[in-house]
Amino acid sequence: MSFLFGGGRPQPTSAEKIAAAEMEVDMVSDMFSRLVRSCSKKCIPPTYAEGDLNKGESVCLDRCVSKFFEVNVKVSEKMQGDAQNRGGGGGGMFGM
Amino acid sequence: MATKTQCLEQRELQSRMEKKQMKEFMTMYSNLVQKCFDDCINDFTTKSLGSREEGCVMRCVDKQMKASERLGNRFQEQNAAMAQSGTMPGR
Repeated sequence: MSFLFGGGRPQPTSAEKIAAAEMEVDMVSDMFSRLVRSCSKKCIPPTYAEGDLNKGESVCLDRCVSKFFEVNVKVSEKMQGDAQNRGGGGGGMFGM
Repeated sequence: MATKTQCLEQRELQSRMEKKQMKEFMTMYSNLVQKCFDDCINDFTTKSLGSREEGCVMRCVDKQMKASERLGNRFQEQNAAMAQSGTMPGR
């Protein structure tokens, strides 16, 4: 779960440590809830003929997750690239 | 001393995580209600749920839960794969 925070240098105080850990959990769980919202909207038609996921829906969900991650990476790379081209300031939220 | 602070930190974090989990559970519940209400209930010529509507709601809950379970599994796999292949920009 720590892919958003490079290595994570030792944090001085425990309040900061806890805040950092909490923030990481928040970011991951926010990402997950957005993923659930988008992918179920895109893959599950709102007609509930049966309560199970059918083959098509399952495959759609799997692919949706993979693409969602890919888009995350692409956007982050692009933002970093743009920031670097602008020469400095840089870093942004997605350090490394 | 380090052990004692670590222990306190651990406990503090633990209790926050528990609160968070509770909150997340409630959020999940209200999202589910909203989703299934929106998708299944469109007819207001009667006062209570018809059997078709009720069936739709039950299947909706079933399906949405299965979907988020599946998404959770894939999410974890992706996350682990990403963590393993170094930092953020995987592949």
